[in-house]
Amino acid sequence: MKQGIPIIGAIPLVLFLALWELLPHTGIVDPVFLPPLSAVVENIAGLWQGGDLQTHALVSLQRALGGFLAAVVLGLPLGLVVGGWFPRLQAALEPLMELFAQTNPVVLFHIIILFLGIGEGAKTFIIGWLCLWPVAFSAMNGVRNADPLLIKAARSLGIGRLKLFVSVVLPSAAPLIFAGLRLSAGYAFIMLVAAEMMGASSGLGWLVIQAQESYHVARIFAGAAVITGLALSVDGVLKLIGGWLAPVRETKENQPLGIAACNDNRRDR
Amino acid sequence: MTKTLDAITDRLLRLSGVAIFLLLWETAPRVGWIDPYFAPPFTTVLRAFGRLAEEGTLASHLLVSAWRGLSGLAVAVAIGVPAGFLLGRRFPRVGAALEPLLQLLSQVNPFTLLPLFLLFFGIGETAKVAVIGWVSLWPILFYTVTAVRTVDPLLVKTARALGVGGVELYRTVLFPGGLPTIFTGVRIGTGLVFFMLVAAEMLGANAGVGWLVHNSAMNFQIPQLYAGAAAIIFLGYALNRGLLTLEQGLFDWREAPSEAVSGRPARPALRPGKGGVVLVAVLLALLFVVGGWETRRVNLAAVSGGHSHHGTHGPPTPERVEEEKRLEQELNGWDPFADGGKSK
Repeated sequence: MKQGIPIIGAIPLVLFLALWELLPHTGIVDPVFLPPLSAVVENIAGLWQGGDLQTHALVSLQRALGGFLAAVVLGLPLGLVVGGWFPRLQAALEPLMELFAQTNPVVLFHIIILFLGIGEGAKTFIIGWLCLWPVAFSAMNGVRNADPLLIKAARSLGIGRLKLFVSVVLPSAAPLIFAGLRLSAGYAFIMLVAAEMMGASSGLGWLVIQAQESYHVARIFAGAAVITGLALSVDGVLKLIGGWLAPVRETKENQPLGIAACNDNRRDR
Repeated sequence: MTKTLDAITDRLLRLSGVAIFLLLWETAPRVGWIDPYFAPPFTTVLRAFGRLAEEGTLASHLLVSAWRGLSGLAVAVAIGVPAGFLLGRRFPRVGAALEPLLQLLSQVNPFTLLPLFLLFFGIGETAKVAVIGWVSLWPILFYTVTAVRTVDPLLVKTARALGVGGVELYRTVLFPGGLPTIFTGVRIGTGLVFFMLVAAEMLGANAGVGWLVHNSAMNFQIPQLYAGAAAIIFLGYALNRGLLTLEQGLFDWREAPSEAVSGRPARPALRPGKGGVVLVAVLLALLFVVGGWETRRVNLAAVSGGHSHHGTHGPPTPERVEEEKRLEQELNGWDPFADGGKSK
């Protein structure tokens, strides 16, 4: 799957949007269940003018970003240090980490609520938890899979340990790390909406649940569209930064966003 | 001799992390480092687990969840694999054109779709199966497309030169050649199924392991909550490991760079004959039938009993949702304004 979207890729997109607009109008699909695109756009505009959209989007972004940043701050050093310097510690920790990474976050959320209550803490924690493992595993694998030839060459040139890490290991691990970061950011949004649906009084997920409870179908679509757009933009920004900081060797495009994908790292063993 | 000793130490080392974690879980509540009411010791959870297993509740919930998961996955495979072959091989231009749209759709947050599916299909089984199928469709579809595109062109050309074409080419070259990659997609899809299944059961169901955990939390049956959670976590872990092992065993003719690097011997290949494949298929079918029967029984019981927690009949009315919310808050003593007063 090529990077540059060919022009013909725009045709189905436009067609899809046109059908979305036309089908409810012609009555082939019940407009109560599928409001036309214009109604959804109108709804988004209305939410924006009322200031609701900005407020809720900001709250949601704060939560997602809080959890994500916490995961990066904890997971990156964890993965780098454990993967780089303590192979025995890594052997001891890896099964446990794998178990934690497999932990269903929705289930865990209930347990975390017991300890932290239903407030911001629990939401940030669960988002951070989910984001932590792809970051840690990708950092670990990135360090482990650094080209041994490069390391040996650098060693033979008399490089110091720290210098070796900064100028050889880290750059070669960077693409994988960024892939992990993007995966994490995706998770952050998935979990954000779940957490907001299960217990919140603000945020985009709450907006959608609220719309569902009051049968405001156009608003459900509006919320879903805004969340998708937000997630896509964050992913785009991360991709941009990644491409700029860590110009990537060819990676597998089309990595589907998935909870289980982080365990794919294990395949390298 | 030292080699086996090394292997044993390695094993022990790998187990030590989990062992220490379990030990901490057991002792911390007993010594009083954490509140045993919120975090019951491991053995208490095991006992709750034993009780659930003994009553047969757990088996029933597991069957219901398994049926839902299998149905969703079956739908996703039935749509995703043929569609992947069509888009990746038969009509590559259409595939390229559709790709941006499909990518966009795959990025839609599954949780925001849940209300929509509930709206379209009602709160019954269809909505859950649909959302599970939707979530697992994308990895299966994308991996299948990648699979058929990356089948060794030499093989295809050779087959062509030997006069193999049409359906025969798909059956003998493209499908077997793409199978490892397709299997990866199915494995990732299965992981997503498991994740989404639990969430869907929490947001509206009257049975299933997700509901079990949710209901235990709502009724403050903490050991049972942990028991259900542990069951789900263990199942998810086992499922992933099992599929991974299967994948490595079945498709080990594929590149295995790690073995060359680590020097570890390759795993013995799993080579199931026709009998093995048939056995697995029959077991899956059996699970599907029994699970479907159990789901039907549970749903019927909920309708006739009329005391279900999350009704299966009819869409949720605002009153009932309000009432449920009130009840939940009462039960748990949650502060609805703990959000920092941002509520409106």
